[in-house]
Amino acid sequence: MGQTPDYYAILGLLRDATPEEVKRAYVEAAQHLHPDKNQAPGETEIFLEVQQAYETLSNPKRRKAYDATLPKEETPESPILHEILYSRPHLVRLDEAQLMYVLVNLRARNEGQSLPVPPLNVCLVLDRSTSMKDAKMDLLKAAAIQFLRDLRAEDIFSVVAFSDRADVIIPASYQNDRLKLESRIRDIQARGATELFQGLQSGLNEVRRGRDARRVNQVILLTDGHTYGDEEACLNLAEQASREGIGISVMGIGTDWNDAFLDQMASRTGNTSRYIARPQDIQKLLAEKFHELTSVLAEEVTLEGALAEGVQVNYAFRTQPESGPLLFDKTTPLGAILRDTGLSVLFEFLVQPSALKEDRTLLLDGALKIAMAARPTPLSPIRIRIQTETADEPAVALPPPAILQALSRLTLYRMQERARDEAQAGEYDKATRSLKSLAVHLLEQGHRDLANTVLLEAENIQRKRTFSLSGEKEIKYATRALFMQEGEVPG
Amino acid sequence: MILCKNCLHKNPPGAIFCAECGAQLAAGEIATQSIRTDKVAPSTDRGKPVSIPKPITDNAWASLHLMDSGQILSLADRNEYTLGRLGEGQPVVPDLDLSPHQAYAAGVSRIHALIKRDGKRVTVMDLGSANGTYVNGKRLASNSERLLNHGDVVALGKFKFQILLR
Repeated sequence: MGQTPDYYAILGLLRDATPEEVKRAYVEAAQHLHPDKNQAPGETEIFLEVQQAYETLSNPKRRKAYDATLPKEETPESPILHEILYSRPHLVRLDEAQLMYVLVNLRARNEGQSLPVPPLNVCLVLDRSTSMKDAKMDLLKAAAIQFLRDLRAEDIFSVVAFSDRADVIIPASYQNDRLKLESRIRDIQARGATELFQGLQSGLNEVRRGRDARRVNQVILLTDGHTYGDEEACLNLAEQASREGIGISVMGIGTDWNDAFLDQMASRTGNTSRYIARPQDIQKLLAEKFHELTSVLAEEVTLEGALAEGVQVNYAFRTQPESGPLLFDKTTPLGAILRDTGLSVLFEFLVQPSALKEDRTLLLDGALKIAMAARPTPLSPIRIRIQTETADEPAVALPPPAILQALSRLTLYRMQERARDEAQAGEYDKATRSLKSLAVHLLEQGHRDLANTVLLEAENIQRKRTFSLSGEKEIKYATRALFMQEGEVPG
Repeated sequence: MILCKNCLHKNPPGAIFCAECGAQLAAGEIATQSIRTDKVAPSTDRGKPVSIPKPITDNAWASLHLMDSGQILSLADRNEYTLGRLGEGQPVVPDLDLSPHQAYAAGVSRIHALIKRDGKRVTVMDLGSANGTYVNGKRLASNSERLLNHGDVVALGKFKFQILLR
């Protein structure tokens, strides 16, 4: 980056940004960096840089002079490598809509980066409703205490317990007197109903108190029940959190929680939900989460982009580090890049004949914005243009192995998703058929136990006309977990 | 559109797995029949949907995707592998023994073929086998190298595998 700061990077802009984009980026940055609002150390300096950047870039003359001093290459040494793979070398001129699969891979330029490991700012939001009482509550508390013990001195930590109201058990702070904090967690009693909004809002407020751009900011929600009536409000909270750079991840305990809704909520922040079948596993999963948070290289990658006319995204799915479906939109949070595990997202594009251009067809034009707490200076966005040549003849080539592999697993995940939709719509025969096909493929790939679970569920639907609560979650999260295992088949 | 051979579901062109039953659609069918029938991609003569290739391990330069069992064998440590099957009292043994994969029944010779890496090129050579070596259905002359491309189907006698390159 040299002596002059990279004004484009500071505002999160590409070199060809329009004056409107410069202005919008400035307003956005100024809003959450303004000294009146923010006391986090170092942010005032960043705010001054942002102002300087804006003053230069908003003035055409000064911008031109500044541009002349920049090195030619757009991102000389980004710490993130990116790669785009296509299922086919080109689109074919056809009168019908066609599919194109695209895999976007992002990873650390070198894994042994000397970048520091950013400190955490985490709030555990614990469900203390009546359904959690006795053993479950004890295991949850034990897991929370273990999480607290794992924290490093520089981490900020808070705990909120909620039922129909929310209490801040430990306000966001460094953990000076751990024994005292532990006993506060031990004192949590189960009572009342589950009202998520309250808990989530208090949790977010705690994270906001400790929020700064040099930390990995996250709310971890642990719940075992359904929330009623406040789903929409929760989703709004999640979107707001995402804009503030705060992630929300969810761990659902047992079979009664609403996985579809909580998944959706987490995905708005580029995170996902995990299924904890047995309360004994809470501690293990929480420890995994801690490990993941402390191996973050870039805590959030966001795709901002516009689809070309006549192009749509049927499906977007993160295959790693933590697999889960994404909600594609103008702004799509994709998730984190870990030091040892890159971020991979698979897109299914549906391309209408009207979108095909003479020799090159553009599907999506956008940029990846990367939030990286470990770096002292902001990172320039990566320009992403998803486009291929247009040809008369289909190419005779196999898709790249990485796409084939990801897609084979995604096909299974989508089959269970469809079976659930079909069962919900009352199409029981279809749902049974989908599950049976799913079981066949699972068997082929050597996942015998899961195949059996799927077949049992198919029987269950025939008899009882509904998925079992345990079966649907088991199958969903197990087909999702297929992405995370290194997959040589057992011989 | 692409008709799934397994369930007859109509998939849009470009589909790789059937949206209905999840079967992998054969590679040749990425071509659409509607466009021109006289120039359909050369068949990889797969009769049924094969199971899905598993990932290639990190340091492998090529993998054999066995079409009968769906298993993947990775070639990694050495730069050339002789393929064949291990028999009793055999003086020369193959680097890669295919006998656990019903190689005898499929007519694989004891020392059948050689797969070799030379920089980025990967070649196959028939070593004078009894039942011949085929690439995409074409029989190779003995002891002459043939370049392999990603996805080529190689048959040792009736023992078929697909070659997956990095």
